[in-house]
Amino acid sequence: MTLLEFADVHQSYGEEEVLDGISFGVDRGAVEVIIGPSGSGKSTLLRCVNRLTDIDSGDIRLDGTSIYARDENELRQQVGMVFQDFNLFAHLTALENVTLGLRRVRGFSKEEAVADAHDHLERVGLLEQAESYPAELSGGQKQRVGIARALAMDPEIMLFDEPTSALDPELVGEVVSVMRDLAEEGMTMLVVTHEMGFARSTASRLTFLDDGRLVEQGPPEQLFERPEHERTGTFLRRLTELHGGIDR
Amino acid sequence: MSAASTVRGRVVKVTGGGLFRWLAFGVFWGYLVVRWLYQWVGADLLGMDPRAPLLPVETFRTLATTWDGTRIGGLFSFLRVAGDALPAAVTGTWLTIILTVVAMAAGLVIAVPLAVTRVYGGPVTRWAALGYTELIRGTPLLAQLFVLYYGLSLSATLRELPFVGEGFIPAQAALVAMIGFIINSSAYQAEYIRSALQSVEVGQLTAGRAVGLSKLQTIRRIVLPQGLRYGIPGWSNELVYLIKYSSLAAFITVPELYKRTRDIASGNFRYFELLVVAGVIYLGLVLSASALMGRVEQRVAIPGLGE
Repeated sequence: MTLLEFADVHQSYGEEEVLDGISFGVDRGAVEVIIGPSGSGKSTLLRCVNRLTDIDSGDIRLDGTSIYARDENELRQQVGMVFQDFNLFAHLTALENVTLGLRRVRGFSKEEAVADAHDHLERVGLLEQAESYPAELSGGQKQRVGIARALAMDPEIMLFDEPTSALDPELVGEVVSVMRDLAEEGMTMLVVTHEMGFARSTASRLTFLDDGRLVEQGPPEQLFERPEHERTGTFLRRLTELHGGIDR
Repeated sequence: MSAASTVRGRVVKVTGGGLFRWLAFGVFWGYLVVRWLYQWVGADLLGMDPRAPLLPVETFRTLATTWDGTRIGGLFSFLRVAGDALPAAVTGTWLTIILTVVAMAAGLVIAVPLAVTRVYGGPVTRWAALGYTELIRGTPLLAQLFVLYYGLSLSATLRELPFVGEGFIPAQAALVAMIGFIINSSAYQAEYIRSALQSVEVGQLTAGRAVGLSKLQTIRRIVLPQGLRYGIPGWSNELVYLIKYSSLAAFITVPELYKRTRDIASGNFRYFELLVVAGVIYLGLVLSASALMGRVEQRVAIPGLGE
């Protein structure tokens, strides 16, 4: 059953067409990994889903209704987002980063919010760091708080915008493992990443974007082993050389 | 964070040994507080003259006469003039402090929405906020005070109010000065806060919006707590400036520190001594203010924020 659907999405910055007619659907519980060279429109596509960027034409539907027919803040509560550079609220502790949305968006009481936030921090293995400020956390810990913060909003779908790209190599594993757990629990995920290990092992499907167009889409083994397009094969080979493609 | 460090840096920094500094602050504030309490209640209770300097001024006078013509005689002569002037000067200091504190506090209340409008407002409101700050910052404070005091009938209106000039409520001229300082300071504070808000990283806003907070909630819960912390050093400068600028109230007859000492000097022609008295008190206030703001900054500091 399709949860998220892109229907002929166009988006441009000035003259430059960033998304040039993207159409595809993401099933509930699927892990859709989007790959593509930089400037291919992957991050823009994610930002369109929670309306951080508005599209020029076409439509995006979540659970059957257009995202433009919904209240913006309500939509964003239903769509969790994890950023490349974490964007944790710098003046709040790990715990407060999670409770802020619980209290102000979901209307929890202080006690409820703290209890719920503790559960989410425990889920990403950071209960002991609850009182730490972002500056006191490692990159991997920050990103896990970022994931807990998004999960606390009880989203229908999670967007990951290159969640491991800003991390030191030895810290990638802890974040990937949290994401993998999440996938196993049945969360619908739309992931932009260069982390080929995660793509191979966890993706339900790989989507290759280039130049604002959807070039190829299919199960990971198909794209890795027998890509239909020359561009897909070249890109994946280069990426695998760079990022190892080791299953972490 | 380089963005934050551009708004950092303090103009006045308290230096010197810890013990000496605290001793100096202790003597300064000790005398001020004792003098105020004596004037308001103590003199009445003790049946003494409320204008008594609480210093051995008569001894200074005798010593000055004994060593007349020598350096030591000159020193005691200075101490006598200063001691005689201190009661009036300290009374004026109270008004200086009130003017400054009220202008800072009320100015801040106006400055925060003004700065938020400058950064996040629509085209019309942004233009209006810009117009206000530029008008106020672009014209002399003294001219603003003159317009309020002589140009408008503000003081006449204030005089009609029953509580004006009663007890701890300042008289109408001081109230006009207060209004002038509030308006003036709000514009300057808004500029400091605006630049501080702009140094909050864009990603912080994006993350707030992505969680589902409204724009206003994001500003209130994320941008302001961070921006106001970045703004403290600049804001401290405004406090320091205002302590000294409050002396302009003298020109609309407000009996604050500068007016008190100037009036005494124009009676006894001891301008040097009186300006030293005023100068030392202003310096004490300024150093205290920046020490206090340093404390506040430390107190609200968060690891990694603005470092």
